[in-house]
Amino acid sequence: MDAIKIGPRGTRALWFCVITAALIVLPLIVTKPFAIDIFIRVLLFAFIGVAWNLMGGYAKQLSLGHAAYFGLGAYTSTILLIRFGISPWIGILAGGVVAMLASLPIGALCFRLRGPYFAIATIATAQVLMLLFLKFRDFAWGAEGTTLPNLGNSPLMMQFGAKAAYYYIALAMLALGLAITYRIERSWMGYYLVAVGEDEDAAEAIGVNAPRIKRNVYLISAFLTALAGTFYVQYIYFIDPNTAFSFNVSVEAALVSIVGGIGTLWGPVVGTALLEPTSALLQSSLGSGHGGVQLTVYAVILIAVILWRPTGLVGLFTDAYARIFRTAPTRVSEASLDA
Amino acid sequence: MLATVAQAVVNGLLIGGIYALVSVGVTLIFGVVKIVNFAQGEFVMIGMYISYFLATSLGMDPLVSLAVTMPALFVVGLLLQRFLIRRVLGLGDMPQIFLTFALSILIMNLALLLFTANYRTVQTPYTESAIHIGPIYIAVAKLIAFVLAMALSGALWAFLHTTALGKAMRAAAQNRDVAMLMGINPDRVFGVAVGLSLALAGAAGSLLMPFYPVYPTVGQSFVLMAFVAVVLGTLGNVTGALIAGLMMGVAESLGIQFVGADSGLIVVFMMLLLTLAVRPSGLFGGWTR
Amino acid sequence: MPELLVVRNLSKRFGGLRAVQDLSFSVGEGETVALIGPNGAGKTTSFNLITGYHRADAGSIRAFGRELVGMRPYDACALGLARTFQVGRPFGKMTVLANVMTGAFLRDKSPRGARTRAREAIEFVGLSAKEQTLASDLTTIDERRLEMARALATEPRLLLLDEVMAGLNPTEINQAVALVGQLSKRGLTIVIVEHVMRAIMAVASRIVVLDHGQKIAEGNPQDIVANKDVIRAYLGTGYAQEAPAGV
Repeated sequence: MDAIKIGPRGTRALWFCVITAALIVLPLIVTKPFAIDIFIRVLLFAFIGVAWNLMGGYAKQLSLGHAAYFGLGAYTSTILLIRFGISPWIGILAGGVVAMLASLPIGALCFRLRGPYFAIATIATAQVLMLLFLKFRDFAWGAEGTTLPNLGNSPLMMQFGAKAAYYYIALAMLALGLAITYRIERSWMGYYLVAVGEDEDAAEAIGVNAPRIKRNVYLISAFLTALAGTFYVQYIYFIDPNTAFSFNVSVEAALVSIVGGIGTLWGPVVGTALLEPTSALLQSSLGSGHGGVQLTVYAVILIAVILWRPTGLVGLFTDAYARIFRTAPTRVSEASLDA
Repeated sequence: MLATVAQAVVNGLLIGGIYALVSVGVTLIFGVVKIVNFAQGEFVMIGMYISYFLATSLGMDPLVSLAVTMPALFVVGLLLQRFLIRRVLGLGDMPQIFLTFALSILIMNLALLLFTANYRTVQTPYTESAIHIGPIYIAVAKLIAFVLAMALSGALWAFLHTTALGKAMRAAAQNRDVAMLMGINPDRVFGVAVGLSLALAGAAGSLLMPFYPVYPTVGQSFVLMAFVAVVLGTLGNVTGALIAGLMMGVAESLGIQFVGADSGLIVVFMMLLLTLAVRPSGLFGGWTR
Repeated sequence: MPELLVVRNLSKRFGGLRAVQDLSFSVGEGETVALIGPNGAGKTTSFNLITGYHRADAGSIRAFGRELVGMRPYDACALGLARTFQVGRPFGKMTVLANVMTGAFLRDKSPRGARTRAREAIEFVGLSAKEQTLASDLTTIDERRLEMARALATEPRLLLLDEVMAGLNPTEINQAVALVGQLSKRGLTIVIVEHVMRAIMAVASRIVVLDHGQKIAEGNPQDIVANKDVIRAYLGTGYAQEAPAGV
């Protein structure tokens, strides 16, 4: 009798199912709230990283101001919830739309600059938004922010008694982000994004409408980031300008992608899986009084990655995978763009 | 009313001198090494802390400590270029941006861990004194800072335009390959450029100490001003950075006077907006100098 | 023969430098016209103006019945204008196939269709064996081939080739000349900037000579190489040829 032959494609699919199943049952096995909290943070920041990666990784538009959209999403849904009693399930989408609308003028302005100056301009926009929301007392609670009303276990208002519920939402968001990235990567848009990221002028010469594609990827990236913002404030029941428009969010969005593998599908996931637990462990062992430690560690890791492996750590994994399963080592371009 | 405006302008010019000094440093690195130094503000901060500790432990006046901060930061600049910046040249935007960016975060947070977030100041005999020209009030400490900042910027300009090494630097800035063909060693030139730039940052720090508090994140506000000034003054153009730095100071001061106390960032953003919308290549747009 | 490209009074300054001054020439459909001149004559600048990479200060560029001045390069490409760059600009992170597919996507948004078209272009330039090679790993001449394949994948009607022969050895030049000839046979209109006279004589039906941004001569190859103004301005890799009696 012939053994069932599973080719490399089949093996990959099998692993995929196994991991997905493991992720789904994980919160049922590991029930300690502290652990689930870490899982949620990993999923959430991986999602934020994926959203950033579309723009920053593929198209090389290195934004350091994505917190702007995180915050806009968070504030939109919270304002709708507290002032108008609208469910955050609607609010989350509204936040996404607000973020998309904001990305248009911000993009129109910032895309006039290239490289580092684009980054600076994005930092400035996030800071300006933070300042504006620090001022808006009547509408948006100003500098003190507000706590979200605790409605107990009300799924329709995106509040859950069981922590695991948040885990599944975050997992679903990450899956959404990865699915979108996967589809884009394999379509003409993916090629165009990488072309613009590699050489915008050469891309324009072969018919790529660079301004339009940058605008479009920014819309998607802003939308997704805003979703994360709403989720976060629903999870921690608190919002204020410093949290919502936090520079740390902007940095982490870029950081996990760079460390994990800029411009790759799994890069942000790998990066977050490394960085988030590290920072959580640091925080718990040193206490939150040492806010500087986390960022110091992040900075050191970032410098190390840039100096020794600028393409990110995901390359290590694909090479290892290839060695274990004896397939030809895949390079970023082949794996993602030529299947 | 006129007196209020004049006062605001004078105040703006005085602090603008510091902005100009920091901007010149940023534009020098950018023009020669083609890298934006996100950490420039942190080197100002380092200069400030050096001056602070020299003042509190040895009683050294911050202006005297210029003799310490400038050479020290020059050496730091040489090392920075030799061991870090050189490794990311030619690798594209991402490594270059994030290297100095990470450096900025690293230095800032190390300072936070070492020195805590407390504001520290230095009192000198002239910290509180001022001179009066008509209705205009000029703080002596700021005036000295302005004069010295302009002197240092002028010295740099002279260096770039009269000395052999300075001209080599400008040559490397314009066309690195041809400069190499002419026998100019880019590494050496880049090292000096970074060294000078950081020395200027350190100088700015020392000059600030008599009238400005130091805390770990103090560099951030200066560097943001500097970045906008560099864009406004045209990337790589030293004179442009100087003039634009002064302009930023005046704009901020007028904003504080007539719009509100914390309108600084709004002003910065508005000036960036204006530049981008009207003249993206800066006031001196065209060739880099 | 209908004119596909008409350049009239084209001018461009960079600061104090008049890169192109009052340039006028036209290219008929199916023709191969060469643009020659000493270094700095304004040849590449002219290409940059035609493709919209820089905006002309004055003058008009008409092609495909439209005015190209003020048009962005990607819109011009969609109309049928393609170019190669003097220094190869491959998308280093992508394979050869992916590079060319990016060009093909202009005409066919489906990956399968784009792949097919890309493969055709790759085969035409002779890069099929290196389809999966990372563009950053290519040799210079293969980079040139990639540039051309990528431009061809956009299905141009007018192709601007910027010094495709530079740095090639004689065998490679022959191959390149053959490729250009084949393109011409397919009906493609070509404007080629070159220094390698041997190649120009082989492919061009007409030559336009620039010097210091201005056109100093225009005509068929035989006349041009004998033209005193041209010889005076441009002592390049020339074809020495005696002036016919009576000229």
